Amino acid sequence: MEMIKDVLMGLWESSGFAALFVDGAFLWQNLVMILVSFVLLYFAIAKKCEPLLLVPIAFGILLANLPGAGLMDDPTGLMDTSNIVEGAHWYDTGVLRLIYSGVKSSIFPCLIFLGIGCMTDFGPLLSNPVSLLLGAAAQLGIYVAFVIAIALGFTPQEAASIAIIGGADGPTAIYLTGKLAGHLLGPIAVAAYSYMALIPFIQPPIMKLLTTKKERQVEMKQLRKVSKVEKIVFPVVVLVICAFILPSVAPLLGMLMLGNLFKECGVVDRLSDTAQNALMNIVTILLGLTVGATTNGATFLKLETLKIVALGLMAFCFSTVGGLLLGKLLYVITGGKVNPLIGSAGVSAVPMAARVAQNEGRKYNPRNFLLMHAMGPNVAGVIGSAVAAGFLLSRFG
Amino acid sequence: MEEFTIVDALLTSVIGIATVMVILAIIAVLIIVVSKVIRAFENKTAKSEAVIGDTPAEVKPAGVPMPEGMNEGEVELIGTDEKTAAVIMALVSHNSGIPLNRLSFKSIKLLDDEKKGADK
Repeated sequence: MEMIKDVLMGLWESSGFAALFVDGAFLWQNLVMILVSFVLLYFAIAKKCEPLLLVPIAFGILLANLPGAGLMDDPTGLMDTSNIVEGAHWYDTGVLRLIYSGVKSSIFPCLIFLGIGCMTDFGPLLSNPVSLLLGAAAQLGIYVAFVIAIALGFTPQEAASIAIIGGADGPTAIYLTGKLAGHLLGPIAVAAYSYMALIPFIQPPIMKLLTTKKERQVEMKQLRKVSKVEKIVFPVVVLVICAFILPSVAPLLGMLMLGNLFKECGVVDRLSDTAQNALMNIVTILLGLTVGATTNGATFLKLETLKIVALGLMAFCFSTVGGLLLGKLLYVITGGKVNPLIGSAGVSAVPMAARVAQNEGRKYNPRNFLLMHAMGPNVAGVIGSAVAAGFLLSRFG
Repeated sequence: MEEFTIVDALLTSVIGIATVMVILAIIAVLIIVVSKVIRAFENKTAKSEAVIGDTPAEVKPAGVPMPEGMNEGEVELIGTDEKTAAVIMALVSHNSGIPLNRLSFKSIKLLDDEKKGADK
């Protein structure tokens, strides 16, 4: 009888229900985060909002908040020295914490950039190099959010990590935050990917507010055809120039351009195929899962997180404003040949932002076909946000 | 560590956005220069090949689009007759709002499901 009682007691004490009560305190935050993960799973599966990323992220949130499961435990202080257990070995570390080292060491964001490079066609950018300026202007939100974050009391490293949400580029945000403010990785990654999924709702009102009907109706002339040699030379030239001016940008941009060279050179099709399919999928699973797992209830549910979410939205909006304003300037300079709507695509988020520009253009002129014109600023935005991250890293790293 | 003030943040932001603009502007200028060099080289090579060759290569006028409502090139038709293909192409052009002379069709294929459905 005593043995049965001991077994039952042992089962209760090792259960997640018992783990919800630590030293008499109830861990309600974990339960809230589990509910949050259910909501995110609903949006990802039922509403198809960025499902490739949101499903692993939401499941990571669920796994990390299961009481007593210890998937993010770090008893040896591998990355977090606050809970070191005497005599623990590295293999006692939670499995997700071990995988998380790929985020902490920047391996995952860089590999994602390799895959993105393989999938990106820089043709529209090469046929209209002015697009690069639109991609640069659409980084405005990063710097506006940075100033406001400092005003709100964040450290420069934290402010830089929050501000990079305005670059609308998930891997870049994760890369910079991992380097500067690892403790904010969860909220920043969730905010960045959520806003990217919400671009079709965030951008159109700003586009309407800042442009006239006449400007939105502008039809742009067909882009010239870009030769294969131009496409091959481009990644090499861009990398060399950027890395010489700002060496801290080399890891991200280097992988992006390597991937693009795989795609364009035409002699390593197998590598290109692996990088943009199998490798990309594997890294997406690991990255999403572990980023989600950083959102432990006790550290995530704070006023600070709300501030980050608000600042992220602000950064997104100002980035859109920056691209649109330069688009308007180009409209004036070129005598009405540039449709300012393509400026909004300068916030990376490839190809969603370009699609939004296309759809908005078509609303006011059914004959308008802006997609390829918007793809130029869109891919320029990827380079722009990487350069912005490199600048912030060199300043605060 | 020294306190980081709002003025510092503003200065950092101004320098930051200027850095991004300058670097991307440099890349834009380089793209223009490199593209011109490459195109000049390619044109030169094409001309010399045309001179060396026995029969001059047929040169299409560049940048002249097909008349509106017309298309060029070959479309592979799988399980589809020419009449149906013409209707599909016209429908795609009409619904997308893209003139036919700016669309390129590679193949039009009858899906297996439809074949099965038709068999029933």
